[in-house]
Amino acid sequence: MLPKCPIVPRANGYPIVPGACGFPSPMASDSVSPSSSSDSAYDSAAYQNPNPNPNPSDKPINAIDGQLMSSLVLADSTDSVNHEEGPPSSVNEGDIVDANVLASEESDRTVMVEVDVREEEEEEVQRSEAVVVEERETGGGGGEGEVWRVNSELEVDAPDSPNSSGYAGERGTSSASSACGTGEDDICQVRDGDFVNGVVESQAVWIPGKRHVDEDDASMSWRQRKKHFFILSHSGKPIYSRHGDEHKLAGFSATLQAIISFVENGYADEANNGDRVKLVRAGKHQVVFLVKGPIYLVCISCTEEPFESLRGQLELLYGQMILILTKSVNRCFEKNPKFDMTPLLGGTDVVFSSLIHSFNWNPATFLHAYTCLPLAYPTRQAAGAILQDVADSGVLFAILMCKHKVVSLVGAQKASLHPDDMLLLSNFVMTSESFSPICLPRYNPMAFLYAYVHYLDANTYLMLLTTSSDAFYHLKECRLHIEAVLLKSNVLSEVQRSMLDGGMHVEDVPVDPSPRSGSASPHLGQHSPERVREAYTGTGGPCGLWHFMYRSIYLDQYVSSEFSSPIGTPKQQKRLHRAYQKIYASMHDKGFGPHRTQFRRDENYVLLCWVTQDFELYAAFDPLADKALAIRTCNRVCQWVKDVENEIFLLGASPFSWWGKRIEKCFAEWPVGGLIAGHLRL
Amino acid sequence: MSTRRRTLLKVIVLGDSGVGKTSLMNQYVHKKFSQQYKATIGADFVTKELQIDDKLVTLQIWDTAGQERFQSLGVAFYRGADCCVLVYDVNVMKSFDSLDNWHDEFLKQANPPDPKAFPFILLGNKIDIDGGNSRVVSEKKARDWCASRGNIPYFETSAKENIRVDDAFLCIAKAALANEREQDM
Repeated sequence: MLPKCPIVPRANGYPIVPGACGFPSPMASDSVSPSSSSDSAYDSAAYQNPNPNPNPSDKPINAIDGQLMSSLVLADSTDSVNHEEGPPSSVNEGDIVDANVLASEESDRTVMVEVDVREEEEEEVQRSEAVVVEERETGGGGGEGEVWRVNSELEVDAPDSPNSSGYAGERGTSSASSACGTGEDDICQVRDGDFVNGVVESQAVWIPGKRHVDEDDASMSWRQRKKHFFILSHSGKPIYSRHGDEHKLAGFSATLQAIISFVENGYADEANNGDRVKLVRAGKHQVVFLVKGPIYLVCISCTEEPFESLRGQLELLYGQMILILTKSVNRCFEKNPKFDMTPLLGGTDVVFSSLIHSFNWNPATFLHAYTCLPLAYPTRQAAGAILQDVADSGVLFAILMCKHKVVSLVGAQKASLHPDDMLLLSNFVMTSESFSPICLPRYNPMAFLYAYVHYLDANTYLMLLTTSSDAFYHLKECRLHIEAVLLKSNVLSEVQRSMLDGGMHVEDVPVDPSPRSGSASPHLGQHSPERVREAYTGTGGPCGLWHFMYRSIYLDQYVSSEFSSPIGTPKQQKRLHRAYQKIYASMHDKGFGPHRTQFRRDENYVLLCWVTQDFELYAAFDPLADKALAIRTCNRVCQWVKDVENEIFLLGASPFSWWGKRIEKCFAEWPVGGLIAGHLRL
Repeated sequence: MSTRRRTLLKVIVLGDSGVGKTSLMNQYVHKKFSQQYKATIGADFVTKELQIDDKLVTLQIWDTAGQERFQSLGVAFYRGADCCVLVYDVNVMKSFDSLDNWHDEFLKQANPPDPKAFPFILLGNKIDIDGGNSRVVSEKKARDWCASRGNIPYFETSAKENIRVDDAFLCIAKAALANEREQDM
């Protein structure tokens, strides 16, 4: 299915950058962390970066021998015709080509991106298809994208000649799988064999830090990785690569820039200047491009995630970079196109790799909502009250979190925090320093804020954000005050208990619809004895309910049930995550949606989605689940969420200007203070 | 800073088609030479790591197509270039005559902040052919041209025999590093 191609305004030059803004190195702890020796929590191994900046000099210079040549082949239509064995319309893989594609054959422009693949172990000549989707800035509607497919026979080079940088992740070879590491999207997963080691929490198996640094585009293992992310400058200089060493991938990076620039230049046709390449499909691979002024971001993936999801992931990756440097990095490129920004990002590899890892498990990366740690209402109130105290003393935001879950947060008057910024911030905090200049891209992409972060225990951390770079000691006093109150009021022990108990379990979904009082619904942490028994049978919740996610539109928050059997392993969780991601994209597809409900059955699950103006529910059932029972169960889940909403959501405790209004609106519209506005019927 | 900083230099190789740009690159990076001529389509990219003094340098070499029909790639390809290698064939006068054009076109497209100080290098390639008997451009003529263009360093090379190829690329890398240092200040 080809995505619709919305018109993207052409970037004429770069955004104007007001004001002066320096670039303190985010990792220069000795200059910006006056307390690093005194605060014991800084020594916690939980967030120490084991190898923040692997010494590049470890690699021998002669490692470049055998480096393959990256090649970009750009041909005009007359050239390509000679190489084709058939007309473009002879393609038969209907999953990629649709009517729009064939209709576009009348166009006189073609861009061929030939992906050369050299397989040492396959003598067979492979065929590759490449489709370039271009956007035209002029012209209305969404149907202006031109799509061309070129079938080109691949050249198999003589074994000793320099060959081209192709990308062959979808073709697993038996020899390469021995190089398998512990990362996700590893080459050993090429045959859908995700890394499984029995640990239930998927994020627990992930070890932060960059891997496979010795690989480059000549390495078969590198080519077989399922998902690559690249950041490069508009002159083709590499900035970040998920796998492999950036400098060794300089040729590959140049190839990516050439593809982007080639389309942007309006090849041989001045009238089409400003086109943007958004997506190239080559076999099972999608190559997704995102141009942000002088920064280019590219994802190459054969994970079958929707284009919109991959594009959203690139947006977050860009946001993470802005969080570290602010957008005024653009000005450096304006002054000097040769500008190399890798030194500014030195040591932040782990921040990016951790974010990319979260694309595999954290629903916040596509829901644009955050999630709360389940807590009794008075407990959360107590935490919010003490945070509010310090917020009045010049702290812009005070956030108390436990891993990626919010315990409480408050902001100064009129300041609101976007869920994406919270995601990027907590990702940064969990992987790096303690008093850092950071930029919240959705708050103000041009300015630094200063984040004071303190771990109250192994998982729970407090973040105080301020605009003042010399507020460290004040923030430390605030933290001591908050910590004392939280200890005294037992908030911290409740937080730890909630971490152990988890939140909503599908096994606890009430079998009978509860009365309006809600008293029949089990409170969190008060499990019925039957649940324990059911969990062992591995059948999930009632009527084959395996998992659900509920997103409240007004609150910008979501809640998801805990994973349990039969979605117990990281591999199963990742598969469900991807299925949710896909159905989320289809529910929000602008071309077809928004859908209100969707019931989809395949060999893995029954997925049921229900989108209203107030909430979205995504539920996964046993593939054999009965439809009517599944729908009834979803209604019960919604009712249950409503019954325990003040334990699972952060409600009205904070005086966000926009938020207070929204909450008032919520309560005004829903007489019982509930979040359920409707009832799902067959 | 305690960790040694790595530098990445974008090197653009320009010259008429068939003068040996790709062969020079292959010899430099892969230590290989092939008699067979295959026209470069669009552009090719290779990387080479070297150590200059105490500095690790990665050369990102952009081997462009000599044919005119690929020249529309211009601005984007030259953007952010750190240095430029001009190549001609000592046995073909026309490839030498084109140098003015390549030089000026590069400066126009790349638009560096200080065009006079931008690091160029000139390579006269294929000096091995016919023991030098088929040569039509004298070394003096080439050196005069270099002098007239702000003392561009000049090397006579053979990609086939691997004559002075490493020297030439080391020279341009050093020039680009020196230029970068000036710009940093």
